Amino acid sequence: MKKLKLAMLGAAVLGFTATTALADDYPQRPINMVIPYGAGGATDISARTIAEPLGNAVGKPLIMANVTGAGGATGSVAVQNAKGDGYTMLFARVGSHSVNPAMKATLPYTLDDFRFVTVYEINPVACAVRVDSGIDSMEDLVAKVNEGGVSYSSSGVGSLLHLAAVMVLKEFGVENPLEKATHIPQKGGGAAATAVLNGTAAFLCTNSSALASFVSNGQLKPILVTTAEPVAGFDAPTAADLGKPALHQLVGWTGIAGPDDLPDEVAKKWGDWMATATQDEKFRSTMEARGSIIELMNPEDANVFIQGQYNTFRKLVDELGMRIEG
Amino acid sequence: MSFVDSLLAGLSLVGNFESFLALAIGVAIGVIGGAIPGLSATMAVALTLPFTFTMQPITGILLLLGVYKGGIFGGSIPAILIKTPGTPASSATVLDGYPLAEKGQAGKALGMALWASCTADVISNLSLILFAGWLASFALSFGPPEFFTLILFSLTIIAGVSGESLLRGALSAMLGLLLATIGLDLVYGTNRFTFGDPNMMGGLNFIAVLIGLFAIPEILAMVWNPRSHEGTTRIIGKNWVTFSEYKKSFKSIVRGSFIGVFLGSIPGIGAAPSAFLSYSEARRTSKNKENFGKGEIEGVAAAEAGNNGVAGATLIPLLALGVPGDVITAIIIGAFMIHGLQPGPMMFVLNVDIIYGLFIGLIVSSVFLFLLGSVAIRGFKYVADIPRGVLFPAVLILCVYGVFAVNNNIFDVGVMFAMGWVGFAMLRYRIPAAPFLIAFILGPLLEDNFRQAMLMSGSSPAILFRGPITWFFWAVTAITVVAIVHTGIRATRKGLDQHKENEE
Repeated sequence: MKKLKLAMLGAAVLGFTATTALADDYPQRPINMVIPYGAGGATDISARTIAEPLGNAVGKPLIMANVTGAGGATGSVAVQNAKGDGYTMLFARVGSHSVNPAMKATLPYTLDDFRFVTVYEINPVACAVRVDSGIDSMEDLVAKVNEGGVSYSSSGVGSLLHLAAVMVLKEFGVENPLEKATHIPQKGGGAAATAVLNGTAAFLCTNSSALASFVSNGQLKPILVTTAEPVAGFDAPTAADLGKPALHQLVGWTGIAGPDDLPDEVAKKWGDWMATATQDEKFRSTMEARGSIIELMNPEDANVFIQGQYNTFRKLVDELGMRIEG
Repeated sequence: MSFVDSLLAGLSLVGNFESFLALAIGVAIGVIGGAIPGLSATMAVALTLPFTFTMQPITGILLLLGVYKGGIFGGSIPAILIKTPGTPASSATVLDGYPLAEKGQAGKALGMALWASCTADVISNLSLILFAGWLASFALSFGPPEFFTLILFSLTIIAGVSGESLLRGALSAMLGLLLATIGLDLVYGTNRFTFGDPNMMGGLNFIAVLIGLFAIPEILAMVWNPRSHEGTTRIIGKNWVTFSEYKKSFKSIVRGSFIGVFLGSIPGIGAAPSAFLSYSEARRTSKNKENFGKGEIEGVAAAEAGNNGVAGATLIPLLALGVPGDVITAIIIGAFMIHGLQPGPMMFVLNVDIIYGLFIGLIVSSVFLFLLGSVAIRGFKYVADIPRGVLFPAVLILCVYGVFAVNNNIFDVGVMFAMGWVGFAMLRYRIPAAPFLIAFILGPLLEDNFRQAMLMSGSSPAILFRGPITWFFWAVTAITVVAIVHTGIRATRKGLDQHKENEE
């Protein structure tokens, strides 16, 4: 009996040291980083830009893998189902982790299936129209929407672009934006911009970085940015200028998440690594040149931020009956 | 800045060892990447992208363009040798390239593929340099209704690649259309035929379907009957493509190149439909129509001209409008962004040196493609000599690896094997695979553009006739369908007559 007790104690001690050792030694091997969107896109570029300084901070190689499909859902599911040992992590994005969960009842995951360790990049959202459209301001746009026949493009149902256009119209007093304006979904962000260029749709709202080249080339005209501060290169009023502070919630972001059973120690380590990585000069200058705002959040702040955005979006979706069931 | 100044500025930018080295390495990576089944040109470009982040902008972009062009040609090597398109764009090359290899003329087919690719590449690059502005504004007049009619016309290709039986071809196309509906609905965002499996939400992986349909059935057929090929020799011999053959196919090559240029300049179509369209046009106008699909060298030329004709032209929307022309240029645009370059009309003003540098690099890339392609053919053609018992297991391993690597997903490997059995069944019942593939590529485009057009017009079909471009495609579609029906009736009558004669 005494022996058994001793053995149990021993096992307990061993087990305990084993778990702490796991977190202490983490990481012992390379870490798989899943990018749920395709090569060359905003998430991919952001992930690969942070990969180098982050890899240096971690001290082990980061293996970057694009797992694409279904608006980021395929890659997200791959991490949701992975072991929570910190060796499979996800580059989460506004589309896959706040718009999609808010809009799609059929999504195979919820926000609770992930533990966010950081959000490191914020992308302002801007709305733009064609230069020769005759629309010069949000006021013009809203007037036209109320007349009817205005359409907007997006990179697909349940994308940030889809929700952003609806949210902006709603904030600017269009009572039922789903009926007043027509949504013309496209396959991908590039196609969404093309649709406005060739007159298929009248306007789109998306990350400023996706619009920057069209704006500086004089093809598209920005009429709104959703941040409080003006965005360089975008000669358009901010949401604060127009007295719509609720739109500040409408921003893009990139963060890193693991499965929901990720240990606290691992999450803490990621917080430290990210603090080091985001100090990298080259990372900052590359990201800022693309119009991103580097804003590092620790695990707690990141969760609060994402939950807040999700709740805002969810409220809007429920109010307008935009939720996709079945 | 005058034209000469711009040219000199561009020359000074690319006129260094590094740029040419990057271009050459790029073409080499592309040819090898394209030649490995499963590792498509798209994958090769995606894998190269991160390496360009630390390079000079022009060097990095030239490297990627080299991979792109090399990859589109490289895909034809396994298409001819082992009936496996290395990249989706070379699917049309299989139709005549593989029968040629079976006849012991792999060397000839590969040589023609290279010559056609390089010719098309030159034409495509020149079109980009000379007509970029004009073609870009043409591309911008393509909204959903225009797209819909263009795709509708392209579906008539199915008749051209159905082989002996139009009915079997149509059946194959139906199956392709059906499988293409899997995934998220574009307009409502609801799941279609996903059976609750998140892996199906993104639709069936294209590369997995492609490899499954072409490569796996051959392997299964060999397992089924390992000795069926004994007695037939597959020696390449000394036969190399002759200049007179090139001259004979020249018209098809030029036509294919221009089809490639037009389809390439319109964002969102890509190289595979262009190769098929070029092939079916070559067949339609050829004197020995019957030989197409059985080892006609002109078929290889047309298909390869059609896909390489796209490679320069997809840069037209990229440079002139700032929108990617296809999947591969969508990745390349990332390389522009990372270097703070903003492709679009202003780039011709602000970064004119880079534009001209790219033009010069592109012209040189055609030369590199020719040189490195010749070397690659010399190396790869011995693949045709490897005994099947050794070759096929190796191909199978490459296929599994390649399909897994596309999306790092084991589910795709399952899709590949499932499609392999479908392809095997089709092979045994003599149902052609090409119509399946065309329908699988074009089906979603047709549906999406139709529904977008209906959203635009509030469900009034009048929008499908809204301008000269739509009228043009409606007219050619009608003409083609009438021609198909006409040939069909004639063939049936001929068959009946023969039948009668036999009875008498």
